[in-house]
Amino acid sequence: MAMTNRKLGVLMFSPAIIYVLAVVGVPFVLAFVYAVGDVKIASVGYHYVGLANFRSVLESPTFRRSLYDSIIFTVGTQVVVLVGSTVLSLALKDRFTGRGFIRFLILLPWVAPVSLGTIGWKWILDSIYSVINWVLVHLHFVRPFDTPMWLGEPTLAMISVIGVESWRLLPFSTVILLAGLTAIPRDIPEAAAVDGAGFWRTLFQITIPMILPIVNVAILFGVIFVFTDMTVVYILTRGGPYDTTQVLPSLAFFTGILGSDLAEGAAISIFLVPILVAVAYFMLRVASRAEVG
Amino acid sequence: MARKISQGVSRREFVKIAGAGTLAAGMGPAFLYQKGPQKTLKIIQWSHFVPAYDKEWFDTVFTKQWGEKHNTNVIVDHISLTEIPARAAAEVSAQQGHDLCMFLSPPAAYEKQVIDHREIYEEVQRKHGKPIDLAVKSTLNPKTNKYFAFSDSYVPDPGNWRKDLWSDVGYPNGPDNYDQLLDGARKIRQKQGNPCGIGLSQELDTNMAMRALMWSFGASEQDENGNVVINSKNTIEALKFMKQLYKDTETPEVFTWDPSSNNRAMLAGKASFVENAISITREAEVKKMDIGKQIMISHALAGPKARLASEHVMSCYVIWKFAQNKEGAQQFLVDFIDSFHDAFKASGFYNFPCFPSTAPNLKEEISNDPKADPPDKYKVLSDVLDWATNVGHPGYATAAVDEVFNTFVIPTMFAKVARDQETPENAAAAAEKEVKRIFDKWKTA
Repeated sequence: MAMTNRKLGVLMFSPAIIYVLAVVGVPFVLAFVYAVGDVKIASVGYHYVGLANFRSVLESPTFRRSLYDSIIFTVGTQVVVLVGSTVLSLALKDRFTGRGFIRFLILLPWVAPVSLGTIGWKWILDSIYSVINWVLVHLHFVRPFDTPMWLGEPTLAMISVIGVESWRLLPFSTVILLAGLTAIPRDIPEAAAVDGAGFWRTLFQITIPMILPIVNVAILFGVIFVFTDMTVVYILTRGGPYDTTQVLPSLAFFTGILGSDLAEGAAISIFLVPILVAVAYFMLRVASRAEVG
Repeated sequence: MARKISQGVSRREFVKIAGAGTLAAGMGPAFLYQKGPQKTLKIIQWSHFVPAYDKEWFDTVFTKQWGEKHNTNVIVDHISLTEIPARAAAEVSAQQGHDLCMFLSPPAAYEKQVIDHREIYEEVQRKHGKPIDLAVKSTLNPKTNKYFAFSDSYVPDPGNWRKDLWSDVGYPNGPDNYDQLLDGARKIRQKQGNPCGIGLSQELDTNMAMRALMWSFGASEQDENGNVVINSKNTIEALKFMKQLYKDTETPEVFTWDPSSNNRAMLAGKASFVENAISITREAEVKKMDIGKQIMISHALAGPKARLASEHVMSCYVIWKFAQNKEGAQQFLVDFIDSFHDAFKASGFYNFPCFPSTAPNLKEEISNDPKADPPDKYKVLSDVLDWATNVGHPGYATAAVDEVFNTFVIPTMFAKVARDQETPENAAAAAEKEVKRIFDKWKTA
């Protein structure tokens, strides 16, 4: 019977293993193989070139800029998401009329295809048909030919891509924090209130410390999502203006697929690995602690 | 090229084949794509900027008739122009997909995965005369002497200017050279507020516009032998010019643009001048927009050294080595050129022929277009071959040139100077380093 259970366990678990190996493992190994080879998009052979692709990538100022942008993009998004999701989760924690509908609205960006949502934002931020600019012009805050170029100024463009990425990730983080908040026993904040603790004191000295493990999980998942995402940047700015929103995944795509140099594209994407491995390590540790707690 | 004849042929079939063979031998080395069991020919290409080309001719008339004639089920899939490279890469990786894949710029990097298209060129040349130099330089690798694609057409990249705005500042015929562009666009910007709309973004139109500017100033990314020469006095002059043009006449929106943004800017009545194909005016005509009457077409602008512009789109068909129906694809391309005049008309004169004899009255046709207002609006395109050239000019369109193009090295160089992020000298030096790095990689590929 025990043997049968073990076999059944293996049988039940193997689809997941096969899926992960096929969808994550094989491309991951291929990326390493490509990165140390001379693979072009249409090449028919393979030659080992050692670290030549990495050296070539490091010589590129675009790569260095993209690394910098990736960090700004990731950190900026996480700050916005963390603050936003904390506020939202606190607001949505207690019952009130319409709470279900508001929760539904907040979840929408997460369930909608990211490309579709981002195309919507592209029109909202468009240089000619931006609804934001239309409002600003009609309120006489700006002149018709001198409206803010949300995707054309380096700082505004970075703020825009961070904003849209945050819009996309906010529901995920909010749901996680809501789960954390509902897990806090009611008697603790109630006891604090009886002792005279106000909202801020309760928030910073009771609520946040108690949900910290789950906040860490939200952050670490978020970092991985953002650091590896190119959809928002690709659709909104294609890395522009002049590479000031170029991130490593989009640069890898431009170099490997559009530029036809798969090996160098793979080498660029490999630079994500050490950072993601470190993040994954901490994520697992934090998740483990949270579980134990 | 000839197909295998199965061993079990009947006497009647043998006579048919022998007769066809005799006829073919009499016609010279014509293609022998014979009827038999129904075949399939799969084509993937962009959704044409002139929708009527797809809906009213290519998909519904030409491919249908060709399929019936050759007992072939022709399947045409259309995708967005920006998705073509990724789709092609996926097909090569899977070693399956379509028989014919159309690119909008020379796909030199795919040379090892495609057949040599020389025979198609030779067959079409036998019927229609020589292709234009632009087609050859965009599809031939001079080192391997292999045609890695077959080009049926190209799209001119003229200037589009607003007659009302330019007349108001003393240029009733629009700008003819870059100095006039700077002067007139500056006056329009000061007087009317409308900005000039030459892109500085990481997209197709900017890539073309910045190359046109460089060539007209005597600069280029490579010389005719493929040596990197981008860091030159002429490039620096072009950079200084663009910086001035941006500061005096443009807004930061040009850093945000995608390939259709300048269309929208012109049709919205915002921009005074853009460089684009005739899709802008065609859209205005189809939608009967009043602004269309004010938008005029001009030659490529003249610079201190030349009057040159890139082709806006270089239509390049490839037949994969792994294609299931290579013979059908080859025959299709040959027959396509036979019918090219229909394609020329269906595209609203958007696609210009790479084999000029297929549209022998091109000048007269585009000089009197009933859809245009005025009817001779497109007449200026009749001498397009005097000023249109290939990406990679004065050399060939190689895989290295393709990577420089698709990683937007040149638009980035111009944009950084325009925004004072770099001096022209430093930007040219940085671009040289990057272009050399890319060229070096492809030397060993």
